[in-house]
Amino acid sequence: MEGSSIWKKLLVLLVLASFIIGCQPPAQPTPEAQPPAVEETQPPSEAKPVELTFVTWSYGVETIADNIKKFQERYPNITVTHKDYSWLEYHDTMVAAFAAENYPDLVYGSDHWLQEWASAGWLVPIEDYCPDVKEYSAELAPYALEGMTYEGKVYGLSYYADTIDFVYNEALLKKAGFDKAPETWDDVYTMAKALKEQGLQYPIIMAWSQKEGAFPEAWTSMVFSQHEGHHALFDADLKPTFNKEGSAAYQIMEWLVKVYNEGLFNPASLTTAEIDQVKAMQAGQAAFTIFPQYNMAEVNKPGSGEYAGQFKIALMPGKSHATVGYVRFYAMTPGVVNKGPEYIDAACKFLHYFGGKTDGQYLVVKRWAVENGLGFAQLPLYQDPDVIAAFSSWGDVPTIEQQAKLARSKEGLTTWYGAWDIFARAEIHKAILGETPIVDALNNMANKWLELAQ
Amino acid sequence: MTTLDHAVIRRKAKLWDRLYPYFSVLLPILVIGLFTIYPVLYAVRISFYQYILTKPKVHPFVGLANYIEVVTSYYFRNSLINTAVYTVAAVIGITLFGLGVALLLNSKIRSANALRVIILLPWAIPAVVGGLIWKWILNSDFGILNGILYAAGFIKEYIPFLANPNLAKLSLIMAAIWKEGPLAAIFFLAGLQLIPNELYEAAKIDGGGGWKIFRHVTLPLLKPIILIVVIYETITAILVFDLIYVMTGGGPGDATSMISWFAYAEIFKNLNLGHGVALAVIIALIILALILAYLRIIKYEEVVG
Repeated sequence: MEGSSIWKKLLVLLVLASFIIGCQPPAQPTPEAQPPAVEETQPPSEAKPVELTFVTWSYGVETIADNIKKFQERYPNITVTHKDYSWLEYHDTMVAAFAAENYPDLVYGSDHWLQEWASAGWLVPIEDYCPDVKEYSAELAPYALEGMTYEGKVYGLSYYADTIDFVYNEALLKKAGFDKAPETWDDVYTMAKALKEQGLQYPIIMAWSQKEGAFPEAWTSMVFSQHEGHHALFDADLKPTFNKEGSAAYQIMEWLVKVYNEGLFNPASLTTAEIDQVKAMQAGQAAFTIFPQYNMAEVNKPGSGEYAGQFKIALMPGKSHATVGYVRFYAMTPGVVNKGPEYIDAACKFLHYFGGKTDGQYLVVKRWAVENGLGFAQLPLYQDPDVIAAFSSWGDVPTIEQQAKLARSKEGLTTWYGAWDIFARAEIHKAILGETPIVDALNNMANKWLELAQ
Repeated sequence: MTTLDHAVIRRKAKLWDRLYPYFSVLLPILVIGLFTIYPVLYAVRISFYQYILTKPKVHPFVGLANYIEVVTSYYFRNSLINTAVYTVAAVIGITLFGLGVALLLNSKIRSANALRVIILLPWAIPAVVGGLIWKWILNSDFGILNGILYAAGFIKEYIPFLANPNLAKLSLIMAAIWKEGPLAAIFFLAGLQLIPNELYEAAKIDGGGGWKIFRHVTLPLLKPIILIVVIYETITAILVFDLIYVMTGGGPGDATSMISWFAYAEIFKNLNLGHGVALAVIIALIILALILAYLRIIKYEEVVG
């Protein structure tokens, strides 16, 4: 039939046309804009209105809004539109936006994503566009500077930097007859066992939901603490060393399996997020945990519960007491660069205001430290009387300092670290649950590392 | 008007009559081509290239490598087994739940009318919200299910449902039945109301009891609806993502990592778009096979009927 043959021809044409379009080479990303000459970043004589977009995860959004308001008062020609996403969804949301080349101007970044994002060209080195930011480097904690550096270039200014700390409930320990903090993982086991015998159902809780970014940091801290010196996970050539029987990682996994099997480790830890972990500690449901230090201000907040003021930081139990120090930072995307010098200038002003000095002071960083108990990378702040007073209200400053000195950045921060870290979470779970032998889980993690490295 | 004019008009009308159908379907074809065929072909194309998001400038052609790599991995086998277990359990559960509820609603109980509306509520709730509701119900510290079981003396301590591999799977299945069951119930109810009363009366006169009538009258006449429900719910179960995303995140370990979650993880966690799209193509082929099977069954039913 003639009609039917025309139909068929039309359909074939359509499919062919779609196929031809579909088979065209993928769109090439626009070439990276070259850094402008320094003079181009200087404020223009007549300040043009500039609108910046700033994306963060959802923490302290009221404080962020207030900081933005003050920034805008200082620079009336700059308007900042703030958008926030849950911390648990932040990475995936940003990756989706970046991959679609839908760049916000300024974003929160983290040391464990920097290599991934910078190598993909999703972030730009701020030192190329705001040359004076390098002046801050001398005042930064080495682990924080390392966490913001990729291929020798600085990609951010610190929003906060913290250590992963071992925390215990002093009141519960005293009740169980212990008058000092545990120093080794065996001590933690012994104390947890005694606490369990006295009625505390699960003395240890962690926020080890697979979506929780602090999970691998806490696990890595445990491994660091059980290892003397560097190369607890990888050797100098970035080859995995953790998948050997007797390694620090193996010992920690053995310990985790033991406390899980003996009912000392809350099994719900494997689905617990940080906020629930904090609440469980405040309620006295557990005596031991590991979390980022900034939570200390929250757990010890007066009136926050029966045990407020009873939570103490102990050096990470283990052989070396080392722990992970990490940094979250303000970063700039190619979106700013593509928009031209006015935007670059405005973004640099933003970075200086939020992560650097204003009128000679780390205004915003100090505010986070004093009001929210967030740690910092800027070492001079340790001498600031306001900061010392604020930190003393929830913690023992000498222990905090001592732990900070033992902190080091995560090993293996590479372009594939982010993907590996996600993979490792499931393997650690399977080993704890007894679904996979410890050696197999560690070997799977090592093999994945090598596969991603290729 | 001359004969020539008439001939021209007739020729134009004839041409318009022939072209009109094509013009009328041109727009839908363009829309389908642009928003369905093109993206599908583009996705198929990507699946033959190495497409790692952190290397936006390097996309070498790798042929079937993406397919081979994902299909031969432990994680594919694991997610396929998880998906199969979940699909079988969820489809059986949804079908039985839907049928039971429909039989209840079709009875002459007084509250049937009100129940018809209430029963649809879980289906009307977005899956993400449903997932959050279940996450809270099952919470190991303050979840109502733990509270009820504890108060009733069934358990001595709260159970971390979502932290245990088997219980986490079971929880997902339960949430799926709660979410999808109402839709199945409405399908079945529509089917039940189409069965003529005379058939039941005749069966009763012949001495049929409740079970026999259900077995020999209701069930055979509901067969087409059962088929629709089974096929539709199978497709929905294979594609499940939102419940996993909210409730378990694929964990603990990889106990609830289904095939669609695996595809998501490959793209957004491993940043390997090539692998993720290859998985999406595999999922699409599975679904396509199911749809074709469904169409054949329907056609067979029509012929036999």
